[in-house]
Amino acid sequence: MNHDSRPQRWNSVSGIPLKSFYSAEDIPAEHRRVMDASPGAAPFHRGAYPTGYRTKAWRIFQLSGFGKPEDENARIKFLLANGETGFLMEHDRNTGDHCYNVDHPDVLARREDVGLTGAVMQSVRDIAICMDGLPIESTYGHAGGAVVQHAPFALAGYWTVAKRRGIDLRTLAGTGQSDFFLTYLGCVTKQQIPTPAGLRFNADIMEFCSKHLPRWVPVSIAGYNGADSGLNAYQELGALFANAVEYLDEIKRRGSMPMEEAARGCGGVSFRMSMDIIEEACKLRAARLMWTQLLERRYGITNPKVANLRIHCVTAGSMMTWQQPLNNIVRGTLMALAGVLGGVQSLGVSGYDEALSIPSEHAHQMSVRIQQVLQNETNLCAVTDPLGGSYYVETLTAQLVERAWQFFEEIEQQGGFLATLDSGWLHARAAENQHAEFMAQDSGERVVVGVTDFREDISPYAVDGFMGVDDAFEVALARLEEVRRTRGERRAGDALRELERVCRGSENIMPAMMEALDADVTLGEVGDVWRDVFGDWNTPIQT
Amino acid sequence: MTSAPKRILMAKTGLDGHWRGPTIVARALRDAGFEVIMVGMVTADEVVRAAIDEDVDLVGLNIGGHVEVAERAIAAIRAARPEVPIFCGGVVPPWAKKRLEEKGVEVFPPGSQLPEIVEAARRLTGWQAA
Repeated sequence: MNHDSRPQRWNSVSGIPLKSFYSAEDIPAEHRRVMDASPGAAPFHRGAYPTGYRTKAWRIFQLSGFGKPEDENARIKFLLANGETGFLMEHDRNTGDHCYNVDHPDVLARREDVGLTGAVMQSVRDIAICMDGLPIESTYGHAGGAVVQHAPFALAGYWTVAKRRGIDLRTLAGTGQSDFFLTYLGCVTKQQIPTPAGLRFNADIMEFCSKHLPRWVPVSIAGYNGADSGLNAYQELGALFANAVEYLDEIKRRGSMPMEEAARGCGGVSFRMSMDIIEEACKLRAARLMWTQLLERRYGITNPKVANLRIHCVTAGSMMTWQQPLNNIVRGTLMALAGVLGGVQSLGVSGYDEALSIPSEHAHQMSVRIQQVLQNETNLCAVTDPLGGSYYVETLTAQLVERAWQFFEEIEQQGGFLATLDSGWLHARAAENQHAEFMAQDSGERVVVGVTDFREDISPYAVDGFMGVDDAFEVALARLEEVRRTRGERRAGDALRELERVCRGSENIMPAMMEALDADVTLGEVGDVWRDVFGDWNTPIQT
Repeated sequence: MTSAPKRILMAKTGLDGHWRGPTIVARALRDAGFEVIMVGMVTADEVVRAAIDEDVDLVGLNIGGHVEVAERAIAAIRAARPEVPIFCGGVVPPWAKKRLEEKGVEVFPPGSQLPEIVEAARRLTGWQAA
């Protein structure tokens, strides 16, 4: 196809009209007043820390997990041995996201899927196998628990294993996720606690961490999951802060912990990095600026140790193509570059086989190598905010901030972030964009190399997708039966009844969760308590 | 005069909630005049029940997980309604795509273009909006 004959609109991917070049007068006056602030100083758009990557390079932080807990453990060790600097534990989605044991009928009907997307962990014993030999006292860990109803189990399991190793939880650094975007927008489960219960869980986790795990990032709002569902750059920003406001307002209403600690607790967020690399870098600059504005205007918080948003990014899985998969190594590199130019604190690069399967060992290694090349061979770590001062970048940063606050206001007018999830309003915004993206492909306006155009492929390297393991279900079932057979039944029963009592009242659920995990209560039993007490979310979309 | 629109059942065989693919496809099929019934995450038994209850002319399966799970659904549909064609889409590795195609099931991996999918629906149902 002749590229020159295509209709060209010259917009950013989020639809902001672009000029062919920018000059000083394009930068909005309001932004010009703050844009020269140094990195590490309010309003932080230039970077969270004054010396940037000279002091500390971004964390190489890859999603990983499949099969049995020992398979996941081996993969994490492989990644750490290859230079990953934090690790991320994925739990099996079938069981974890739904809080089902493997003998639940909905899981039995799909037994081959068990372990395909993360290790099956139904009790603290499984979590201990997955964490065996991992240096959790010195390495930043992610306990899993991306879906809201699963987070208390994943976190309490990780912390219980840490305690048993004699680690003082006050010194333990790490995070979970417990993300509303994933749970209620991006990856809607068949069954899930309603959003008000989810809000309670997250506020409980924040309170519990404030008391017992001050170095832990209790919740991580993941705009990524909104963006990869279709939200554009400024919608991702606006929705992320609308989500943060739900957590912070809830904590404020409770009055149970200092607001600065609460702000710190939800000030570690994640964004998606996609292919419009300048807009994406600007998005991260805009995010830091908006966080500073939000905390000051809404909560009167100006403490620079709280007002500097820390950002994790993952490169867009949906940009990875099934066709000519080696091209995805280039895409991963470019999207990672966008994150680095925008000043991320940690980064995960999607596997080049993302559209085929979960990552193979080699794809995972490449994701690490891409980041190592960027850290060691490009000199990108030398200068903070290398794009700062560019007429284009400063203008686009300011435009994203403006449009994102407008989107934030739209969400507030809908009744707030939770209301837009309950009503399906946010899903409709995402779906509109998905549809427009596909229509642009159909019309030839959007080119995807190897997919819409340039389809000849002479690569001698077959990429056939990772096969996983085939014994995850059987082993999980045997281990579940062993837990039931060998645990102290009385203590487990007491712990489960206590958890239910706490859930029916208004106390913090996490102390009861810690006891439940320590007493070998299983994932499915915890899920049964959720289902009995909180019921099921009324999904606004038909998936 | 044209015949009544053909009916397509869209279902997910896995328990993962990625809804982006099936919803885009459903919209494209509706835009092409088909009636689309979405039933979300279902087991093999449930997809058969839905196919019979809804009296559909084509079943679209989103297969996010393992190929055996999709094959179980395909076998169940074929046993109950052998005349109903099936097509699939989702994150499918090339070897699994080949295996399904050998069973006579068309597979649309990521990157498939909507016109191709709509064309397949027209061919498989023998129907096109006037």
